[in-house]
Amino acid sequence: MSDDRADQQLGEGVSRQQPAYTESQVIMSSVKAVVPFVMTYGLFMMFHGGGSPGGAFQGGALIASVFLMIAFAFGIDATREWLSNTIVVGLGGFGVLIFGGLSLGTIALGGNFLEYTVYEPVFGSILGLDEVGFVKYGMEAVEIGGIAFIVAGILMGLFFLLAAGFNPAGVHDGSMVATDGSGENGEVRSDD
Amino acid sequence: MSTIVAQSVGITPLEVSLFVFILITAVLTALFRDVLASIVIFAAYSLGLAVLYTFYRAPDVGLTEAAIGAGITTIFLLLTIAKTTRPATDELFEPINWPAVGVCGLFALVVGSTLFAFPGVGDPNSPVMTNPDVTVHYIEESYAETGAENAVTSVLAAYRGFDTFGEAVVVFAAGVSSLIVLGREVFTS
Repeated sequence: MSDDRADQQLGEGVSRQQPAYTESQVIMSSVKAVVPFVMTYGLFMMFHGGGSPGGAFQGGALIASVFLMIAFAFGIDATREWLSNTIVVGLGGFGVLIFGGLSLGTIALGGNFLEYTVYEPVFGSILGLDEVGFVKYGMEAVEIGGIAFIVAGILMGLFFLLAAGFNPAGVHDGSMVATDGSGENGEVRSDD
Repeated sequence: MSTIVAQSVGITPLEVSLFVFILITAVLTALFRDVLASIVIFAAYSLGLAVLYTFYRAPDVGLTEAAIGAGITTIFLLLTIAKTTRPATDELFEPINWPAVGVCGLFALVVGSTLFAFPGVGDPNSPVMTNPDVTVHYIEESYAETGAENAVTSVLAAYRGFDTFGEAVVVFAAGVSSLIVLGREVFTS
């Protein structure tokens, strides 16, 4: 990354942007004021998608945007250290697992893809739901546990990934370089 | 054109101003020389589209356009130009490429010629409102069959769940492929 410095004086017509973090009292205060409401609205949209406009996709995007706003106000690097990679990967991975498990489970029970009613003979007496109840809560599970988790997790992940930028050491020698948490790569890239 | 307006509820001044706003922001996005200015104008274009969708009773689409189009996409584009080079220039506008304008204009004309076949906005006799096999079925049956008040959600998560599964997995795949392309193992630390 040493030649990144040189890139800054690439030529006459080209300037490299410096995404340096500037601490701004105005931005920090307004983000502090707005974040609880955006988070609440995102959660509402996620949980109430079955009964009102919106849904898991939009709700998940709003929840991700909360973390994007925090990163803009308090610095991307500080937020990256605070937000664990386990949360980001866990949200995305568990989302796919829940959605995939629920939908493939119906096939395993002899129904069609996402035919929620085939769960009724198996779990109906345990959960005390009728067929429509299974469709209703199955849809909620897919919306919240599937789509919202995936969208929220992956969108925040993409943001921090794009902010970190390209890591040539991870690609050029064909094998990934171990980054072990907040290792060197994060530190080196952070001021580029 | 006159028959369309006669069938529809009419075009209100609010719609006209929204259309003008969207057209102007769309053209300015293409014309601005500075990438940063283009991105900001593009966010305004998305916001205009979101208001228009909401105005035409598609709040689900409007919310998505506002959250993804105006919000997240703008942030990602800003991050991208922060990570790449940005040509310094004194010119405000890009020089207009007239052959491209000709091709795009021709395409718009061809697409626009189909506009006259559309029913008016809110026309009660349009196929969408009267087709008993598709639209009316979902409007009348979806609550009884799925227990969801929002018919859009019942289509997304139950009737067309396979498509939604594909969309959700595409988002997941985008995250994984970005990790691979950027040569990283973790999203955050």
